[in-house]
Amino acid sequence: MKFLTLFKRAVGVVVLMMVAVLFAGCSSGKAASKKVVHISYWHVNAQTQGGASVDALVKKFNKTHKYIKVTAKYNPNMYQGLMQNLQSAQASGKVPDVVQVGWAYMNYFADNFKYLTPTDAQSKFDGSKTFISKNFTTRTLSFAKDSKGKLVGLPYSLSTPVLYYNKTMLDKYGIKASSLSTWEGVSAAAKKIKEASGNYGLYIQEPADTWAQQALQLSNGAKIKENGKAAFASAAGVKAYQFYQDMVVKDKTALHTPWAQGVDDFVNGKVAIAYTTVAQASHIKQSANFDVEAITSPHFKGHKATVPVGGSMLAITAQSTEKQKAAWTFEKYLYKNSSLVTWSKGTGYLPPTQSALSSKEFKSYLSENPMLKPAASQIKTAVAWTSFPKNGLQAEQAMIDARDKILSGSNVQETLKSTQEKINEQQK
Amino acid sequence: MNNRNKKNKVLTIAYLFPTALILLVFIIAPIIYTFYLSFFNWNLIAPTKDFVGLENYLSIFTDPVNRKIILNTVFYILLLLVLNFLVPYFISIIVKFFISKMQTAYKIIFFIPSLFSLVVGAMLFSWIMNPVSGPVAFFMRNLGLTLPNWTNSGAMAVVVICLITNWKVFGYNFVLLLTGLGSVPQNIIDATKMDSIPKWRMIWDIVFPLNKSIAFYVLILTIVQGLQYVFTPISVITQGGPYYGSSNALYHTYLNAFVLYKTGNASALAIVTFVIFLVLLYLEIKFVEGRTSRYE
Repeated sequence: MKFLTLFKRAVGVVVLMMVAVLFAGCSSGKAASKKVVHISYWHVNAQTQGGASVDALVKKFNKTHKYIKVTAKYNPNMYQGLMQNLQSAQASGKVPDVVQVGWAYMNYFADNFKYLTPTDAQSKFDGSKTFISKNFTTRTLSFAKDSKGKLVGLPYSLSTPVLYYNKTMLDKYGIKASSLSTWEGVSAAAKKIKEASGNYGLYIQEPADTWAQQALQLSNGAKIKENGKAAFASAAGVKAYQFYQDMVVKDKTALHTPWAQGVDDFVNGKVAIAYTTVAQASHIKQSANFDVEAITSPHFKGHKATVPVGGSMLAITAQSTEKQKAAWTFEKYLYKNSSLVTWSKGTGYLPPTQSALSSKEFKSYLSENPMLKPAASQIKTAVAWTSFPKNGLQAEQAMIDARDKILSGSNVQETLKSTQEKINEQQK
Repeated sequence: MNNRNKKNKVLTIAYLFPTALILLVFIIAPIIYTFYLSFFNWNLIAPTKDFVGLENYLSIFTDPVNRKIILNTVFYILLLLVLNFLVPYFISIIVKFFISKMQTAYKIIFFIPSLFSLVVGAMLFSWIMNPVSGPVAFFMRNLGLTLPNWTNSGAMAVVVICLITNWKVFGYNFVLLLTGLGSVPQNIIDATKMDSIPKWRMIWDIVFPLNKSIAFYVLILTIVQGLQYVFTPISVITQGGPYYGSSNALYHTYLNAFVLYKTGNASALAIVTFVIFLVLLYLEIKFVEGRTSRYE
């Protein structure tokens, strides 16, 4: 009896060893001289939002790079979801190597995670050290700098808000698109449409951030942040929000509703003009059964249009030198013109490098999709999305709360002022 | 005999051990850790946690937003009790005692929605109930009515969100209650017929007491699970808006913990919710179960 058990065990051990040798044989076949480095890339692109182009890019990279193997991992629930997963990864000590970080999370990321700055990566691994300065403008790089002015990652996907309009409807009521270059003109058009058809004139996106509302304030000469402190309750800032509140509450010419419903209302022809991100362009184009066009962000009379940039950057979270090197190689591949154009076509985002923006491939893509043109032209004057150094996520939530209150009819000046004070209190 | 008793004890412990271990690791330990975290300010990953004492608990009762959340939670519970417990109970009684045909058909029809994912349901209803361009708004406009913009009013948003969870939960609760009613002994019901006792008295005095345990189970399920179920439509449609008008304790805990990374506040709120649930359960057990045992 005892002998039998022993024998069984021995057989088991031998089989196990054989299997181990077999598998080891598999991996050491070709790369006997050089080890393959495995890195993982975390992104937020679902299959409907460019996931397919991420897969295509990674596949192509793996084919052309023998000693680096990239695995792409999709994180649901956008940048917030990715940040949550990154926290658990950090807690378990098994972090990914390249991650997409949304602008709103930049300071939080920089303060709480270990990462390799692109500047360090360049000086560590590159011979010429000109990759960053050659590909990115100072303005574009400023989007990815934290509150201390340190470059955290490299800008990857850029977006700006644009003004979409239902051309069929505007034509019917004799409204010229050129009148929509100012917010005053948009308001007049909205009034005309409301009176003539009963439909709403305008919808400004209301997701879980105040990106579009910040654009509205910025385009009235207001500042969101000044000298590290919230400053949006200035006279100009209040005036812009008052204008918005009047349209929603008093005139009822603008619609106040959650984002998905608002865009639905626009593509169903119940709202004439929608102010939302360029990333919605392909969805709007596919769903609308009327002529739809897009123009650049409007401004208030006497001021310049200024929009905050949306999207994300790529950051290197790899810890070991060899993985960092592989991650840097992968990043440089992603910033090639051909990769960026593939990426842009899949997601609707704009490419972050100057050479990709002016490449022939991207230009021909633009002429096929004219709705992206205003967004591309705005990139040159866009500013960084306001990110507060301390408790930035709570600051954003406070601004969302202020928007909710104002659009439900509470006093604009008081609400903005108390929100500003609350945010500045948290900065101490 | 003594030996056997001992053996029984060992076996009892052995059998309970796996479940106890799972409960300990996944339920009890996290609750204790949450309780611990509720005394700190921490952003989930910073190496240091700031001890703040009872500050997080005080903020729950002093912060107007938190008070609003707690009131909303009560409103949700009341509404869910009506929609997901009283209405299915009423309808299951009608189906059982007043309609004798097609019982199975009703069961199947009512049960179908509970097979769908709530995310899908929430997205569907968000489109159907869209106050500007949805089909319901379209039909109402043709009838000369307008669908109010419910996403802009906390109370209306709560009602719509409860209706969405009702769509999902109704069938399941209905089937549970109907099954419970089916287990009421037929001979007692026949006896009431012989004595020509009115139906409502038979239901009130015989069916209700005999069906108490199932009803009790569904009641608890409605409260505890209902508050979890409303989380999905809140997250998909309103994100708690307008200005926390449609948020509840669970969603607000999530918002604090995983959107704003204020684990301290979130933990304190979670603990308060936990205590409220404990009290509710105690009350239910005391009153409902207490009465049941009197009948037995």
